[in-house]
Amino acid sequence: MALVQLPGMVGRELGSSEGLRVVELNIGAQHPASGHMRLIVYLDGDVIVRVDPDIGYVHRTVEKLAEGREYVRIISLVERMTIIDACNVTLPYVEAVERLLGVEPPPRARYLRTILCEVNRIASHLYGLGIGGIFLNHSTMYMWAFGDREVFIHLASLLTGSRLTHTYPVFGGVRRDLPQVFREEFEKAKRYMLRRLREYDKVFFNNPVIRGRLEGVGVMTAKQAVALGATGPNLRASGVRYDARMTGYAAYGELDFEPVVGSEGDALERVWVRLREIEASLELIDRALRGLPEGPFMAEKFTKTVPPAVRHWLGKGRLKLPGSYVRLKTRPGEVLGRGEMGRGEITYYLVSDGGMKPYRLRIVTPSARNVVLFDALARGHTLMDLPAIYGSIDYFPPEADR
Amino acid sequence: MLERSVDRRRGGHRSRPNVVKAHLDAIATAAKRLLEPPITLPYPDYMEARPPGYRGVILFHYEKCIGCSLCAQICPARAIKMYRVPGDKRLRPGYNVGRCIFCGLCVDICPVDALSESLVHDKVYEDVPSMDMDPVDWALWSRRVMDEERSPEKPLLRARLDPERGIVYEEAQPASSGGEG
Ligand code: SF4
Ligand code: SF4
Repeated sequence: MALVQLPGMVGRELGSSEGLRVVELNIGAQHPASGHMRLIVYLDGDVIVRVDPDIGYVHRTVEKLAEGREYVRIISLVERMTIIDACNVTLPYVEAVERLLGVEPPPRARYLRTILCEVNRIASHLYGLGIGGIFLNHSTMYMWAFGDREVFIHLASLLTGSRLTHTYPVFGGVRRDLPQVFREEFEKAKRYMLRRLREYDKVFFNNPVIRGRLEGVGVMTAKQAVALGATGPNLRASGVRYDARMTGYAAYGELDFEPVVGSEGDALERVWVRLREIEASLELIDRALRGLPEGPFMAEKFTKTVPPAVRHWLGKGRLKLPGSYVRLKTRPGEVLGRGEMGRGEITYYLVSDGGMKPYRLRIVTPSARNVVLFDALARGHTLMDLPAIYGSIDYFPPEADR
Repeated sequence: MLERSVDRRRGGHRSRPNVVKAHLDAIATAAKRLLEPPITLPYPDYMEARPPGYRGVILFHYEKCIGCSLCAQICPARAIKMYRVPGDKRLRPGYNVGRCIFCGLCVDICPVDALSESLVHDKVYEDVPSMDMDPVDWALWSRRVMDEERSPEKPLLRARLDPERGIVYEEAQPASSGGEG
């Protein structure tokens, strides 16, 4: 069996089938771009016959670990599936547990959660655009997107005190109130980003080289997208009007949320949806800041038992927890939590037997659903189209592997 | 086999820019950026001044602790363990900074402000065992971290946003996390 050597790739000849010479190629022995995984590509000449994504390199048994931990300690565990999108990944879990506990977060907390979710979404899309850019050897887009992502990480760290793993929504509310500087800093970030998006259009989206690489590549029709279970911007780029935010969780129900929907379903359209969603998120944060209700940021149920010695922190916009928070007991039951992350819909299915730890926590992440797209979209394309397809579906292995 | 099913003339919201103009636009936009200063922090010659409320390494104030062990119970990373200290009737927390994920939940649940978050994040340790501190070590180490906050080894730069340039770094004065609560 002959070995085939290409820069950065190893393949072997599988012999011929039906008169075609088929080569098996390993792309990215461990880390092709966005995380640890491998694509095994079967090629007939330059044409892709099949793609087998080899996943599981970063499987951390998150679901099983959750069964051995108290509810509050699970928040920072599930956060580790997608640290670059931390509020979006934890919020549906927190809301699911809240339903079992029977606590309602105050309106101000719901708005603050929405603000951080949208800041995270912008950062996540910029991350995806940057990786998508370097896939096409467009290092300008890579550097720009990662540099501009820093702006939104800065905003998040002003609000939460942490750059990436915020652990911000907790049962009953959020952990910090909006700091004074946030509105002013966001105003600047918005003006800056809107101007940058025009530049992104020029340097990337309308760049004839990028158009040539992305247009008409990896086309997914609306019917196909639904049948494959694609989610997030990938689904909406095919013209399906669905976004978990339409269910109106957090404060989305009050902010006249409208999803960004594309039509063509090709790689360029998926990039377009992400670019327009950044704009839409800036607008949503703006609306949430203007409509931000006054009041507490944590449910009274928990704040009333905070020890008197540390109560003064609540007035300074910092949460203090009562001792009972570690050993919260939920009522027995089953709940479904869902929310829209940067990459698509995340679902938590939580079963409680009435104890301090979940009986079972099933998690389906957006990347876990989008992994099927590698094979479905790449078949029939040339090998050079594979990076374009990978970049456009914004696949994130740690999130898929859990 | 390579049928492309998209009709290239479609694409409602996608304008079809003139190819020559689009190339020139892309080059001009990227070239303009060349004239602007770099956006990176010149680390480690400078350190970043963390914003107020930043969640750095955790500081322990021994004299305030009542030994309730709530911090050890809530810690998601099991970075805090309770220790028996000679000459002390109560259990006291020790801290493994190598395990800590800086979530700050221990600070949130401590009923007496015996724990606080510092503004120091980047620390270097000579070996793994020196990251695992017993209560007395942790309290002494916390004092050194507070000194470091007040007089950092490297000059500080603080990030701020600018509507034209995005993130910019400015010279900043050392601030203290107000560790004593
Ligand atoms: S910050 Fe979080 S991980 Fe670190 S010691 Fe406190 S509770 Fe544990
Ligand atoms: S929670 Fe505070 S008072 Fe209780 S053991 Fe920990 S440091 Fe001491």
